[in-house]
Amino acid sequence: MREERRIRIFYTVGAAAMSAFCLLPVAYMVLVAASSRPDVLSAEASVRLTARHFLEVLGTGSLHFPEYVVNSILVSGLSAALAVALAAPAAYAITRLELPGRMSFLFLVLAVSMFPPVSLVSYLFRMMSALGWINTYAALVLPYTAWVLPLSLWILTSHFSRIPRDLDRAALLDGCGRLAALRKVMVPVAAPGILSTAILAFIFAFNEFLFALLLTTGRNARTIPVGIALFEGLHGEIPWGMIMAAATLAVVPVVLLVLLFQRGIVAGLTRGAVRE
Amino acid sequence: MMLTFQGISKTFVSERGAVPAVRGVDLTVHEGELFVLLGPSGCGKSTVLSLAAGLLKPSSGEIRFDGELVAAPRKKVFVSPRERNVAMVFQSYALYPHLDVFGNIAFPLRVAKVKEESIAAEVARAASMLGIGELLRARPGELSGGQRQRVAIARAIVRKPRLFLLDEPLSNLDAALRAATRTELKRLQRELAVTTLYVTHDQTEAMTLGDRVALMRDGRVLQVGTPRELYESPRTPFAGSFIGPAPMNFLDAGVFEEEGRLHLRIGEEKIALSPGKAGEVRRLATGRVLLGLRPEHVRISGDPGPPALRGIVVSAENLGRERLVSVETAGGILAVLTDGEAPNEGDVVGLALPIETASVFRAEDGE
Repeated sequence: MREERRIRIFYTVGAAAMSAFCLLPVAYMVLVAASSRPDVLSAEASVRLTARHFLEVLGTGSLHFPEYVVNSILVSGLSAALAVALAAPAAYAITRLELPGRMSFLFLVLAVSMFPPVSLVSYLFRMMSALGWINTYAALVLPYTAWVLPLSLWILTSHFSRIPRDLDRAALLDGCGRLAALRKVMVPVAAPGILSTAILAFIFAFNEFLFALLLTTGRNARTIPVGIALFEGLHGEIPWGMIMAAATLAVVPVVLLVLLFQRGIVAGLTRGAVRE
Repeated sequence: MMLTFQGISKTFVSERGAVPAVRGVDLTVHEGELFVLLGPSGCGKSTVLSLAAGLLKPSSGEIRFDGELVAAPRKKVFVSPRERNVAMVFQSYALYPHLDVFGNIAFPLRVAKVKEESIAAEVARAASMLGIGELLRARPGELSGGQRQRVAIARAIVRKPRLFLLDEPLSNLDAALRAATRTELKRLQRELAVTTLYVTHDQTEAMTLGDRVALMRDGRVLQVGTPRELYESPRTPFAGSFIGPAPMNFLDAGVFEEEGRLHLRIGEEKIALSPGKAGEVRRLATGRVLLGLRPEHVRISGDPGPPALRGIVVSAENLGRERLVSVETAGGILAVLTDGEAPNEGDVVGLALPIETASVFRAEDGE
């Protein structure tokens, strides 16, 4: 009994410390964003809450923040969709077809994803310049897709390998070809896994900074991380309030996405497919 | 439809090397027949089923549907499962969890692009045949094991397949449901008259369901015949011990000739053989035979006439209707299935040996 209580106390304290560690910067961000005097980082200064920075970020035309939000969502969404659409057939092939060297292929993919993005960025810049794609969605979507593809492939492979083989065997016998079995059975059954993979890919692309910095030059394709970094005050000072307000707003789409699909992600759909 | 397997082998290649699962199987399943593949786990029976379905390609040999080649690696012929029009019921049921019962049964029809109106009619027909008409809107996750089983069967029969494949369909059901479903499967198969290949490791299922049974072991077919043939004349000791309500007893017996008649010697006991049995033993051309005696044919009696053995009762189990008595004799421990009064442990009893219905095997085959 006492043992149990001690474990519970440790557990609670540990979880609280972990959450505090992770959430303090977020809380600080929100606080500064809503503070009337964001540039005074002092405990003595009286802080009044205000929505001014949020309104400024959204309302100041020269900041282009709403455009950055749209760009970010579109670029990340397209990259995630493309990555999953490519990874799903690949994961099906790896888990279901008798391909020689499946595992080596998976590890090769992993190895490729180990290259630091920095090593690619100058080459990418030259390529995109030559193609005339600088400052377009394509310049970001293609590298992002390539960048999140290995991760997506690995996650989907693990999801697909957990789906009973008898399910797609049944589909094949019921008259499906391989592609139809993938589309009509594997994808719907793996939907929660596919969705969570897509969300992960979305978040990765959403946070990306380096490629976005170098491959965009203006508001046409610039994404939120770069946009915020390039905020400038009227007289060259750092507009902390606006930066933090923009950062706070940037969290919203991701949080919404996760909240919206959380139930679908958590609830397994395979229930009842085969005997447990 | 007639299904033929000719010299079919299947070897799986893995990192640990080549593993032969099926070695040179020849089979013919006749039109409308319910053919059972029986054997212990790992004997290759499910592999044979997958080969018939087209889920696996044979390593060598030829498979024909009504004489037409569907798989022949040497001739580079392989017809994919979707073109074979075979239906399968999996041991795991393999229902589509994202579809309701209607969607599951309708799936093969929708893939075949059948019109929605006729789909509704066909699904209703199959569902009513299996008594699951009330469940069409339920998800597989909400069904009991027996109900899932019925959905799986309905999905298999809804589009009138040429060949019906069943992979241990009853092994996940509890005993009472299994017996009822077994009877129903038999009725359904008769009604549909579809050529059926049925895989099981349960000899009772094989004996009650099969028109013919193929007994398999280590990737080979040991014997094919009607359930009665397999029961009455097992060709190997393995067949004798695998088929029947209780495993066959085996007695080591020496063969010798005395006064022009062939005799068997079991321990101290000498047993003269009838001309029929003597011929059977002679054909084996061996000095030592293994005598296979069914526990249900051995009789316990106080003073049996010859041929008989004496022994001490070592245990007696009550199986309900019958009792399984183990008796230690000079030839080894014999199991006896009796519906009479069972003797007590330690009793000395006489055993009447049913030599005429006994099977004889070469002693070497007993290993």
